[in-house]
Amino acid sequence: MGRRTYYQRAFGLPLAEQIRDSRVLLVGAGGIGCELLKNLTLSGFGDVTVVDLDTIDLSNLNRQFLFRREHIKKSKALIAKESAGKFNPEVKITALHDDIKSLQFDVNWFRGFTVIFNALDNLDARRHVNRMCIAANVPLVESGTTGFEGNVQAIKRGITECYDCTQKETPKTFPVCTIRSTPSQLIHCIVWAKSYLLTELFGVSEAMEALAADTEGDADEIKNLKGEAELLRQVVSHRDSDNFSKEVFTRVFSEDIKRLRDMKDMWKSRAPPTPLPSEFGEQEKLPEDGGDALTQQDQRIWSPWESYVAFDNSIRRLQKRFLDGETVIEFDKDDVDTLDFVVASANLRAHVFGIKPQSKFTIKQMAGNIIPAIATTNAIVAGLCVLEGLKVLRGDIHKAPMVFTNRSADKSLSAERVVRPPNRDCHVCSVARMLLFIYPKTATLGLLVKDVLIRELGYSDFSVMNGSGIIYERDSNFGEEDDEEWEDNLNKTFGQFGLKEMRFITIHDLSEDEPRVDLELAVVTRENFSFSIELQEQVEIPKRPVPPVSAHGMTNGATNGITNDAANGATNGITNGPSNGSANKRKRDLDDDDGENGAPVKRTKDMDLVDDGQNQAPVIRTKGIVLDEPILDDTHNGAIFIDDD
Amino acid sequence: MSQSTPPPLHQGPTAKEKKYDRQLRLWAASGQAALEDAHVLLINSGPGVVGVETLKNLVLPGVGHFTILDSAVVREEDLGVNFFLQEESVGAERAAETCKYLQELNPDVEGHSISEPVEEFIARPDTLTPYSLIIVVAPVVPDVLSKISAHGTATQTPVFYVHNVGFYIHFSLQLPPAFTIVDIHPEPEALVDLRLYKPWKELLVNAKKWTWRMENMSDHQHGHIPYVFLLLHYLMEWERTHDGKPPRTYKEKTEFRELIRSGIRTSNPEGGEENFDEAIGAVLKSLNEPTLSSTVKEVFNSPECEDLTEDSPNFWLIAHAVSQFHTKHQTLPLPGAIPDMKAVSADYAFLQGLYKTKAREEADEVLHSVRALEKSLERPNPILAAEVDAFCKQAAHIRLIRGRPIPVISPNEGVAWGERAKAAVNALTDESSLILLHIAFLTFDAFYAQRAAEGKARVPGDGADVEDDERLLTGLAQDIGTNLLTQAERELDEEDADSVKTRLGNICAELTRAGGAELHNIAALGGGLVAQEVIKAITRQYVPIDNTCLFDGVRSLSSVLLL
Repeated sequence: MGRRTYYQRAFGLPLAEQIRDSRVLLVGAGGIGCELLKNLTLSGFGDVTVVDLDTIDLSNLNRQFLFRREHIKKSKALIAKESAGKFNPEVKITALHDDIKSLQFDVNWFRGFTVIFNALDNLDARRHVNRMCIAANVPLVESGTTGFEGNVQAIKRGITECYDCTQKETPKTFPVCTIRSTPSQLIHCIVWAKSYLLTELFGVSEAMEALAADTEGDADEIKNLKGEAELLRQVVSHRDSDNFSKEVFTRVFSEDIKRLRDMKDMWKSRAPPTPLPSEFGEQEKLPEDGGDALTQQDQRIWSPWESYVAFDNSIRRLQKRFLDGETVIEFDKDDVDTLDFVVASANLRAHVFGIKPQSKFTIKQMAGNIIPAIATTNAIVAGLCVLEGLKVLRGDIHKAPMVFTNRSADKSLSAERVVRPPNRDCHVCSVARMLLFIYPKTATLGLLVKDVLIRELGYSDFSVMNGSGIIYERDSNFGEEDDEEWEDNLNKTFGQFGLKEMRFITIHDLSEDEPRVDLELAVVTRENFSFSIELQEQVEIPKRPVPPVSAHGMTNGATNGITNDAANGATNGITNGPSNGSANKRKRDLDDDDGENGAPVKRTKDMDLVDDGQNQAPVIRTKGIVLDEPILDDTHNGAIFIDDD
Repeated sequence: MSQSTPPPLHQGPTAKEKKYDRQLRLWAASGQAALEDAHVLLINSGPGVVGVETLKNLVLPGVGHFTILDSAVVREEDLGVNFFLQEESVGAERAAETCKYLQELNPDVEGHSISEPVEEFIARPDTLTPYSLIIVVAPVVPDVLSKISAHGTATQTPVFYVHNVGFYIHFSLQLPPAFTIVDIHPEPEALVDLRLYKPWKELLVNAKKWTWRMENMSDHQHGHIPYVFLLLHYLMEWERTHDGKPPRTYKEKTEFRELIRSGIRTSNPEGGEENFDEAIGAVLKSLNEPTLSSTVKEVFNSPECEDLTEDSPNFWLIAHAVSQFHTKHQTLPLPGAIPDMKAVSADYAFLQGLYKTKAREEADEVLHSVRALEKSLERPNPILAAEVDAFCKQAAHIRLIRGRPIPVISPNEGVAWGERAKAAVNALTDESSLILLHIAFLTFDAFYAQRAAEGKARVPGDGADVEDDERLLTGLAQDIGTNLLTQAERELDEEDADSVKTRLGNICAELTRAGGAELHNIAALGGGLVAQEVIKAITRQYVPIDNTCLFDGVRSLSSVLLL
């Protein structure tokens, strides 16, 4: 009787061998990742590669069981391999302490895997792996948890929805003016404290750039904000003064507010703010310990005076660090000095604007985008992931609809009734695809445009987009002038554009007559390549389907705003708009109004989720109720759950 | 010593708070304290993976103590399926080995192990007393399970009974006969009660004051009347033309919304008013009869709420006082929270104060009743006022679950389905229900019990002739099914009967094929599901499953059944 007796009997020998011989990529060694690595190694998988850039933190230990106290600050990937491998010498585990977005992990690298498991904590990396898996045509098992809730989704190009087929919640972005002039919620004050005030005082100033980019705000208001930023800079030059805390306080809670209050036009339809007197800090004597004890009290809401004490106390701590040589101090929820500063400043600002303050505990969660995470949900989700993975290996991905778990008492798990097919308007998975080999030093955009796109693929009017937006456009309707705008780019090499930006290139057909679908070129670099640029092989690019009625009036106004992004990159913000990247990318399409504009596509059951009666997908029933309603655009129940770091 | 070393400055939360930060955001310090007070007993058997995986998910968040009772010795094949064993473990006591490796996960937790057959362990008096929750992993003989179940009922100790075989998971959760929950963690909006149908005098007076001569107000004033006052204003107007009755039906509420809409000013620069929009939006949500939900009624009508004794748990004393409050005022105590709304800050603060003060008064009234009850019952230790406050805030969501004994199959008498029989029969023909898996597991237990009685305890498929076992198991399962139909006084038509027979046969075949073996991945998933409910039972927060959960890993399908 060997180690493998049990599972060979249960799976049957052919599947058992398939499992053993498959190559698995596990992206992320956090909450779900630890569970998954254990489950994979004990389910007979013979070859697992685990990639994670993160290091171990104390707050991981309540669930990430491959790590111990003595591992804090070490690489998650390496320790996970060490801990899991110790128990299972028969499994080959490869650990990479690296960013999954590194250039070395190109499409060909992804192609080397049989199945890929995402166990990530942020939207950006999820979308990246999704895109690579679609390009490489490797099945992906995507998963996420938040608190008691979790989901698992198997993704395969052409068969299921991909991660980008539905809108995902992205970190909430706020217009500059909401943050700087007209906050109406505590989160606005928190973002102001951590992204504006803290950054201006102790970080790298960004205020002018943000204002320059703002195209929406009222001109007077912007002018005022620029003036404010300038005045604050004068205060900042006194960072070595004992009077610094008071100067900052007077500037931002008294004088700035007075000036703001006097801009009468702004307060016609909202309540004006109430400036704090500059002698606010003299109303009482500071506690003997300078507020040290107070700032430990994180469960109750501080009074305005207490917030003042904490403000003064924390700013002095930050000041000391600055004088001790720390040149840039950025917000980190686990850096208690920055946290205290943000809690105190946000609450003072809330007081000024008549907004309800909160406790340090709560503000930490809001400021740090902290997502609750527990071992149990991760265990359930990881178990489901492996089951979905087995379906993938058996070729049963069409029987693997999304599965959800939540805290509800009348159902422990629920699954959608059928697999959701790809969204034909998806800009990630519903495009034509080719592989493009380049030698980065000599391949230019010009060569791509003239040799490949025009000559080889027969494009006439089109735009070219890379990771940061449109880099070339050619539209005969606009004449030669339009081309000239892009002329400079044509001489740039791929290397000059930046290889990360050029990893995927999208060609959007602008011809009026039967335009073709978007073409996505996945770029693979070849060193010492004898040609500069070459398509691997040509595939047919189908005509674009006649567009359905398009959604009008979508605005991407938030693109210049301030994001409440946390250092750990977690995303739990609430918004229905597309992320910044895709908003930029799709801008041209929006103007074209051709129906492929990346607007939220509300799909109905009739359109896309028809149960053809042949699909033996599971139906979950709870106390006799069939959960046959697929979850659509339901930000609460479904579309994404993510984030366990 | 303590004087010479002052506490370090600015360390922020303690290391423990930091470690548990992500879960404290779910069950708070009170839940964590309950978890740390708990002592969980795992009675392990079979390959023993699901039990250990369950404990892993309790050790990580910091359960106080755990004890593993297991008489097995580690075998080579355990290594391929149990993460918490190593090469060196082979030949050693499994209880001690798994305890050792689990303990390594969290130094805050104390693990204990007992290597002894459960029959001997259970025979000693008071042997189960130290444990606040018991997890029994099948297979065990019915006699043992019955004893533990009876202990659970008698001592209010939650008992879990778990099967994990091949691709299948089952667990039954035996909660105490009266398991009460105050904090079910409803959505924050659910904790708002504006009490618009029964406004108290002060609220009404202010509503009149704030809407007095509305038509003469400036645009700014008009657009900043808090919507609660708007609703009350228009309610009074409505009642004047509707015999003093508020809008009740959907149709009336729609008309009422139109009435509010007629008051919106559109001549202002914004061309509308946000506070009016909020009022209109709140009509369907906030204008509700102050009726009790069925779950609250169940609490108020239960004998524990009526017949208080000196030893009644705090919950019942407070529930009794709240019920008295409800009888007197025809409403539950006011929670006191109000939602965000368009208003001038000072006005919002004023409104907030109105609701807070009223909530305080009402909670004090309840507290007063509680104190009177304590006095008449001669209870020595007063209930904390904070506990009464928390109860009042969540009074509309309190929950009572009547725990039922785990269904135990006796080899001679079969299963007594009792009042569960009819519902079980209805589920038989429902292909998405996993009731047949439940029956198959009952059969699995009967099979084991028969062999144990003959002194050759083994599970189906774990022997020489798998096909014989499968035939036997299927036959037994069908007998249980037939017996269920008899108890429910029902019959199935031929087609349904055939379908049930086939599906039951397939499950029995799969169960036999596994031969009692566990798959690590399924055991890990089961460990997650069981531990999730254990945490709910220990913290008395969120609503636990009532009372049986089944999972079929072949179809990724789960069912929760009330049995």
